[in-house]
Amino acid sequence: MAKWEYDGPVLEIDNLSISFFTRAGEIPAVMDFSCVVQPGEAMGLVGESGCGKSTVALGVMQDLGKNGKIVGGSIKFKGRELNEMSEAELRDLRGSEIAMIYQEPMASLNPAMKIGRQLMEVPMIHEGMSKDEAYKLALEVVESVRLPDPARMLNSFPHQLSGGQQQRIVIAMALMSKPSLLILDEPTTALDVTVEAGIVDLVKDLGKKFGTSMLFISHNLGLVLETCDRLCVMYSGEAVETGSIEAVFDKMQHPYTQGLFRSIPLPGADKNARPLISIPGNFPLPHERPPGCNFGPRCSYFEEGRCNADAIPMFEAGERHETRCLRFQEIDWNAPPAGAISQQKTEPGDVVLKVDDLKKYYEVAASALFSGGDKKVVKANETVSLEAREAETLAIVGESGCGKSTLAKVLLGLETATSGEVVLENKGIGSTPIEKRDTRTVADVQMVFQNPFDTLNPSHSVGNQIIRVLEKFKVGKTQEEREQKMLELLDLVKLPRAFAKRMPRQLSGGQKQRIGIARAFAGAPKVVVADEPVSALDVSVQAAVTELLMDIQRESRTTMLFISHDLSIVRYLSDRVVVMYLGHVVEMGTTDQVFAPPYHPYTEALLSAVPIADTSISKKRIVLDGDIPSAMNPPSGCPFQTRCRFKSEVPGGLCEKEVPPMRGLADGHYVKCHLSQEKLDEMEPVIVLHAAE
Amino acid sequence: MEPLSSGQIFVQVIAQFTPVWIALILFMGASAVFKKRLSLYGRLYDSPIGMVGLALVLFWVFTALMADWVAPFDHLDQFRALKNKPPGMIEEESGLAFLFGGDNLGRDVFSRMVYGSQTVMAIAPVATLFAFIVGIALGLPAGYYGGYFDTVLSFLANLVLAFPVILLFFLLVTPEIRSTPIPGTMAAVLFLIPILFFAVFIYSRFSTRPDTLAMYLIPTLLIGLFCYVHLTNLWTPLGVWMDANRLNIFVSVVFVNSPTVFRIVRGLTMDIKTRDYVAAAQTRGEGPWYIMMWEILPNARGPLIVDACLRIGYTTILLGTLGFFGLGVSPESADWGMTINEGRKLLRLFPWAALPPALAIMTLVLGLNLLADGLREQSLKD
Repeated sequence: MAKWEYDGPVLEIDNLSISFFTRAGEIPAVMDFSCVVQPGEAMGLVGESGCGKSTVALGVMQDLGKNGKIVGGSIKFKGRELNEMSEAELRDLRGSEIAMIYQEPMASLNPAMKIGRQLMEVPMIHEGMSKDEAYKLALEVVESVRLPDPARMLNSFPHQLSGGQQQRIVIAMALMSKPSLLILDEPTTALDVTVEAGIVDLVKDLGKKFGTSMLFISHNLGLVLETCDRLCVMYSGEAVETGSIEAVFDKMQHPYTQGLFRSIPLPGADKNARPLISIPGNFPLPHERPPGCNFGPRCSYFEEGRCNADAIPMFEAGERHETRCLRFQEIDWNAPPAGAISQQKTEPGDVVLKVDDLKKYYEVAASALFSGGDKKVVKANETVSLEAREAETLAIVGESGCGKSTLAKVLLGLETATSGEVVLENKGIGSTPIEKRDTRTVADVQMVFQNPFDTLNPSHSVGNQIIRVLEKFKVGKTQEEREQKMLELLDLVKLPRAFAKRMPRQLSGGQKQRIGIARAFAGAPKVVVADEPVSALDVSVQAAVTELLMDIQRESRTTMLFISHDLSIVRYLSDRVVVMYLGHVVEMGTTDQVFAPPYHPYTEALLSAVPIADTSISKKRIVLDGDIPSAMNPPSGCPFQTRCRFKSEVPGGLCEKEVPPMRGLADGHYVKCHLSQEKLDEMEPVIVLHAAE
Repeated sequence: MEPLSSGQIFVQVIAQFTPVWIALILFMGASAVFKKRLSLYGRLYDSPIGMVGLALVLFWVFTALMADWVAPFDHLDQFRALKNKPPGMIEEESGLAFLFGGDNLGRDVFSRMVYGSQTVMAIAPVATLFAFIVGIALGLPAGYYGGYFDTVLSFLANLVLAFPVILLFFLLVTPEIRSTPIPGTMAAVLFLIPILFFAVFIYSRFSTRPDTLAMYLIPTLLIGLFCYVHLTNLWTPLGVWMDANRLNIFVSVVFVNSPTVFRIVRGLTMDIKTRDYVAAAQTRGEGPWYIMMWEILPNARGPLIVDACLRIGYTTILLGTLGFFGLGVSPESADWGMTINEGRKLLRLFPWAALPPALAIMTLVLGLNLLADGLREQSLKD
């Protein structure tokens, strides 16, 4: 089927409704959804998990599986109705006119086929192109997604590439047939921030270069701001607000959009003066949606008898700006949020935890089959030194493979240090494995885990899991005392006491994470290591869990080591920041020092890479080349020299020869870099906040 | 008297199983009513395949339990007049019919089939259970610790698996081997593992609460010890539970089944030990056995239950094979495998003697496989 010309919008979705049919009956996943994507336009679909954004994308692809069915409305692609097309017509369209890019690059590539063949297949099938021509085109496209050495790339298998490279190949594959519409379903969620920044840049440029329209699905408002022209906010199966980026970000007309923006840490937020405001309540399940406005029960502008009377239609709120709110004209959108309580800043106390020159090496046998032979050493931590005070939040920032998890394992005693010392209140614990630690020390260092769906054992009830922790830490003398204490812990994390009897699968992600927090604080710990405790949660829940964590910490004066790659949240809640790269601490200082120049070149790139959902700031774009080197085979000299943009400014190739020393810049601010003081002083801030208009 | 026609035989067979039908209807009806409260077992009633499987399995379970009511004759009674007679002949003295005919010694084939279910039911599920306990007790540490311990155990498991099963059985149950202390020692070791298993299971959980620990551990050890002396025939105040023949079969079945279970458990353990809740247990200082028994094992139960169903089926076939070769069963027992073998000799002339036990094995194994399918299907649904 030849591609056809059409002048109108690339995609017109009108009153689309999609339902899934299960044993429990019909579950409406998308209701009354409309949107228009013009040629060359990038449309963002934003919402929390379960809001139906991916279902819309699958609906456009007409790939809803056995249970899914379009029950109403129309989807027009370049003027032709997709709902009425035959399987053969759709097959022609998919991959040639509409291409889709998924979250997991490895799952989109065939592991048994070389990259080249997978790419060449696309034009060979759709356009009947010859093999040679297809190969030439593949080379061209791989080059245009900025991959080095295209010929070698085409000759390799997917597993030989890194995650970022794989995702570029998937994008290249989508571009092989010059589609009119590209659907991207969370294309960067599985990638590191600096790698994500590269992909985002690429996607933006490609849109301009090829004039491809895009449907960009994401839960990250910052990412949508950077990539899209327009966006559509979805909540519980409905579009609640549609408009241009500027209109929705700056002149929002729906309470849910407002709530979302108030619950993400923007540069102005501060944990003491301007805390985050979470949206109360929980996301309604598809079969438990309230009558009238779906957001009603969680909305602070809710009006009984009006908002819950009838289904709410979309209202025109401006030029190509619509909202699904009855009261959008009555609400004063600029009023300051109610219920924000500013807190006293807590003063940090004495040093509780001191890590001195910590090294952790792993030995890996060169071949798993025959031991002996060459041993390789993975240097997970190299000369890590840091201090944490009582009641202080110390953030450890870095991407995957930087050694932050290894550091946590050494602190918790799951691994022992190769050399160096970890001191917890004058007691060396760095070389004591957990079995040899006494109960008090074990209870003193606890952890909150990242993945809420993995942190609780699915086979035991919530109450029993907490009681077990209390038993282990010898809290309470009798079982009754422990039960009482367990109920108090549930109060502490603001969960109803009835939850003690529940099984973990009956809890939502945020609730599970609260139980995880209760468990960590059960033995009155001195130090809590929080490993990305909110990154797997939905935006509106993140704020609530973050605030809870801060409240408990404030009251118990616990030291918190907050491990994260998300600089927005780090800026919001931490007192001091440690930036790690490939096992080295490259920068350390108070939050203000680290977030303002002079920076370590890596910190600078990291700051630039994190998407920020605020139209009033401008960022300097610094995109790092390549990927993080493997810890098995680290570069010589400075660990960051392979990707550093300042490398040429250090005379004598010093960066490749020597690991730079840790130098003090200001009180408590240290940087591991060879750059001269003048060069560091010349650095400009990455993030500039425009004066409020 | 006139022999029964095939229609009458059919009706009479159905009637003969009346107590089984009643038990089946009561049991499954009650389960279906309370299925909401019965978790995975209850959800089985939503799967047609699982229900058919369960019905077939329960049919044989109830038949074995109520064999005395179902079977018209004793499985050893011989009636010379009815030697090799076709189905439907009436036994003059009692006036009852030989529903499936008579065998070469004039015994009722139907009654022997009914009593044969008792042998299978007495050995297959319990032997499989023991194989599971042994496999779990070794597979958990192998998967959890890895390293040399795992290498050695996995190698041994492969060794047992690579050895031809039938040959192994021949060796284990031949009189020459039986006279050596090998089977006795193997029984002594194999039966010790479950006791250790349950002791560790309880100790790892309640070691922080001494009073509760004693409450659970002492009875467990006493009951365990009591069963142990009976099963190994060291001291038998309650009579012999398992004669030497049966003990041999039992031990051999456990011996050949446990390596496969070991490998399944080892694989599951290696997967589950990477979960955060295992790390959470480690960070609060739990011992390795607590983590294995209480954090990992409960989450491996789904695949293990499914495998147990399949494995009881394999064991049933294995028992049939053993009986067919006359291994480990007393000559006059009603074992299905042995009956098939006896019937086989005259198969061309009198086919009715071999067919019923063969069909019995088939329906039971089919039922177990369908049940496993149903359980797998239901456990995968949220």
